[in-house]
Amino acid sequence: MTKPSPTGQPRPPATPPSQGAPSLVTTFFDRPLPLYLSAAIFRLVFLLYGLWQDANSPVKYTDIDYLVFTDAARFVSQGQSPYERETYRYTPVLAWLLLPTAHVTGNRILDVAFFSSGKVLFAIADLVAGWLLEKVLAKSMDGPRARKFATIWLLNPMVATISTRGSSEGLLGVLVMALLWAVLERRVTLAGLLLGFSVHFKIYPFIYAPAIIWWMDNEKMSPNKTKPTKSPQPTSPTTKILNFLTPARLQLTIISLATFSALNIAMYLIYAHPFLQETYLHHITRLDHRHNFSPYNTQLYLSSSLPHPSTAFRIEKLAFLPQLLLSTILIPLATAKKSLPASMLAQTFAFVTFNKVCTSQYFLWYMVLLPLYLPQSSFLRHKRFGLAALVLWVAAQGAWLQQGFELEFLGNSTFLPGLWLASLGFFGVNCWILGVIIGDVGRQ
Amino acid sequence: MRERITFVQKEGDSIEPTALKVDGNGLKGPEVKAVREDRLTFALDELPAELKALLEGVNQLHIRWVSPVAYEAVSPLLARLPPGFHLFYTPGGDTSINPCPLLNKAFGTDSCSSPSESFTTLPTDRFTHSTTHQFYQPLPSLKAFTTFAKSLLCPPGSPSSCSSRLTSLNSASQLDLSYDTISHTLRLTSLWPYAPQSLSASLLSPSIRTEIGIISTASPKTLEPHEIGISGLLTVLGQSTAPSPTLFSFPSRHRDSSSSFHAHFLPPTGLHPVLQLTISSPNPPSKSPTKDTCRLHGYFTLPKSIFPDRHQLNDPLFLASKNLSSVRYITPGIDLEAPEYVTTPWGSSLLLELSPPSTTTTTGKAWTAEIPLHLRYLSPSLTGYRTAEVPYPALFWACTAEEGTKFPSNPFEKDKVGYDGLFGERTVFWHLNPTPADGKLVNTVKVPVLDLEKAGWVGAVTGGVVVLGFAWVVVKLLGVVLSSGKRVEEGKKKQ
Repeated sequence: MTKPSPTGQPRPPATPPSQGAPSLVTTFFDRPLPLYLSAAIFRLVFLLYGLWQDANSPVKYTDIDYLVFTDAARFVSQGQSPYERETYRYTPVLAWLLLPTAHVTGNRILDVAFFSSGKVLFAIADLVAGWLLEKVLAKSMDGPRARKFATIWLLNPMVATISTRGSSEGLLGVLVMALLWAVLERRVTLAGLLLGFSVHFKIYPFIYAPAIIWWMDNEKMSPNKTKPTKSPQPTSPTTKILNFLTPARLQLTIISLATFSALNIAMYLIYAHPFLQETYLHHITRLDHRHNFSPYNTQLYLSSSLPHPSTAFRIEKLAFLPQLLLSTILIPLATAKKSLPASMLAQTFAFVTFNKVCTSQYFLWYMVLLPLYLPQSSFLRHKRFGLAALVLWVAAQGAWLQQGFELEFLGNSTFLPGLWLASLGFFGVNCWILGVIIGDVGRQ
Repeated sequence: MRERITFVQKEGDSIEPTALKVDGNGLKGPEVKAVREDRLTFALDELPAELKALLEGVNQLHIRWVSPVAYEAVSPLLARLPPGFHLFYTPGGDTSINPCPLLNKAFGTDSCSSPSESFTTLPTDRFTHSTTHQFYQPLPSLKAFTTFAKSLLCPPGSPSSCSSRLTSLNSASQLDLSYDTISHTLRLTSLWPYAPQSLSASLLSPSIRTEIGIISTASPKTLEPHEIGISGLLTVLGQSTAPSPTLFSFPSRHRDSSSSFHAHFLPPTGLHPVLQLTISSPNPPSKSPTKDTCRLHGYFTLPKSIFPDRHQLNDPLFLASKNLSSVRYITPGIDLEAPEYVTTPWGSSLLLELSPPSTTTTTGKAWTAEIPLHLRYLSPSLTGYRTAEVPYPALFWACTAEEGTKFPSNPFEKDKVGYDGLFGERTVFWHLNPTPADGKLVNTVKVPVLDLEKAGWVGAVTGGVVVLGFAWVVVKLLGVVLSSGKRVEEGKKKQ
């Protein structure tokens, strides 16, 4: 016995016609409550376990970054700058959001609760991101199926671990998902605000701006959703440009730029140069090249240690070129109008894969968009192919991690060739997956 | 210019005055086992112009050099520091004065470029007697200094004794150079380890007042618990023909705890080496009159290749699991990410309070404490490895003397040793004797680095792979554009 789906679409063939009592899985996805309740309990268990481990083991569950955020929040609560805390490289907004963590009552249990409130915030952000994910998915499928795909995010142990350990990446997830939802709902003002704020928060969401703007043509933005009568093809370049400059595009651009600038000006007025230095300039000048997944890593180490900079040609000086070409121009142009979510996924994937620094936290940036693409993916249509891709992705990472372990903990000099080849191998696998994703968009 | 030469024997050892021959030019005696300390005191005007110009511009300058070769210390010359070249410095009014070029020339140091780049700042709010800046560099020998000193002090034609006395510095275990604006004098003190040597000393020049002492610690009945008693023979060359016996006592800050320790890195070291201290006893020094106030401390000077993470050392549970109790001081502003070759400050100093196991259960048993440290990336090498040298820490029980105890400066006082500025005026340091298995007060860590031999193709292959990956994605994108173009045309045909 299944309820008809609210959208009236036929049930997906994946759900077998019920014979007698509905299966547990079907009931689970029928209504939102079981999924969200279990996602919340899932995170609560992780959170409580983390508290227990922190209190009883010298090896901490809490992410080191959480201590950075909360230290910064403490500085703010004492009327100081969050940048008093070394390695705080985020917008002051984050420290402000975490102000409750600096609250001290004197009661031990209350204090622990206050200190953990940031993790609760991140976990709630996870849930909201999942809920928005479901809403976006529900535009093209029925509720239960949408919830099934949202489960990939909501009940993902990696996602739950990252947010309950106190990493702020989950906040990015909810911002990006809200941005996508707002755009698909044609709420241009809201989208502009979210875009401006996200870029202020973590820079990288600027790559979504060209995709969203390219996607927002008159056809997509016309409210009655009927195909507009074909206007005669514009002929002169001037008319083309004028036709491109639609009110919606201008509105989004102006609002997002205004939000971004206003936030930055405000922060600069309050915290002056340290804000600029730590939040933005640091990323340009950083020489932090401790081993990470990036293909450029070995080359960066090598060239940073050479005595005479600027004498030789440096490949890494051009690293931003393929990265930005793909993630801000080529992928949006080719795919955004076909599927905005898939384009955003491919852009994020390209941005992370071609970045000069790449750690596993960055994988979360595209993981939130993954459930939107999977329903139409060849990875899911051909299960073996999908499994092979997953195995390859994990194995390439595993090879790198093994080399990294030998270096970091055993002290073996695996920089060359092991770690280097492993990072190039992982890069290759990622490029291949990116190609498959793009190919799938083309088939739509 | 004045000179003082002191031979220090162990408690109970003494020498008969009749065994010594004293005349206007020197002193001669039998061979005994002793520590030798030479102290030269210069007035500013007696110094070479370059040095004088520098000192006139500084407020305080204290150099403490300690040999990496393990040596036995004898009371009262017990103060210890990690081996290497230490500088404690307070600039004068003109902060643009840079002592680095002269220091590098004099000692052969190479990582000192300027106070603003190479020095770290010390807290001066706690106790007024500390200097404002610190610098440190591992320095295994005084060879460069002896060469420099010879060129300065023994011009051609000077007696061979000048050069040979300076050469003997090569076997010294400690060298101190102290200057401050209050005394306006520069004091050069060198110390040779406890070893058999002949009791002989000669006058450098008739114009120099030279005092010679042969002493050992003594315990007269009137001695207070916080005091050290000294007995022995003193003579001033040219003034007396026979040494006169002496007996005196004074409160001393540096004492012997009669415990020992050694330090080594736990294998495998990786990029996060753990320095393990093995300490012979968990008990505070039995001779301390204020045992209950004693806390065991370790003072570390860590070159920039290796550093402690003060955030990691913040958690009580974590500290307790390493038998540590708290961080008492850590150099502020240590960069936690940058590679060694772009880091300009010399490194960091760390004062840790250790947490010995409770003495009721493990009386007298050796125990261990672990110090978690982190390596920076070092520059690539031809073998894929480099070594980082980590000096032994100074380990001591810091005990607070009874209220009212005064520590007026004593003839054998050694101050400005780094950690003394981090404690109150009434603190007594009971030192643990370092006993490394190989006799070296330095541990080395093998640091994995990029292997330059294999790095020839890195740039080209990295570039090639990135271009290939990029091209593959672009081809797929072209496919999307072309196929949608086709579909549009198909759509048109259908219409």
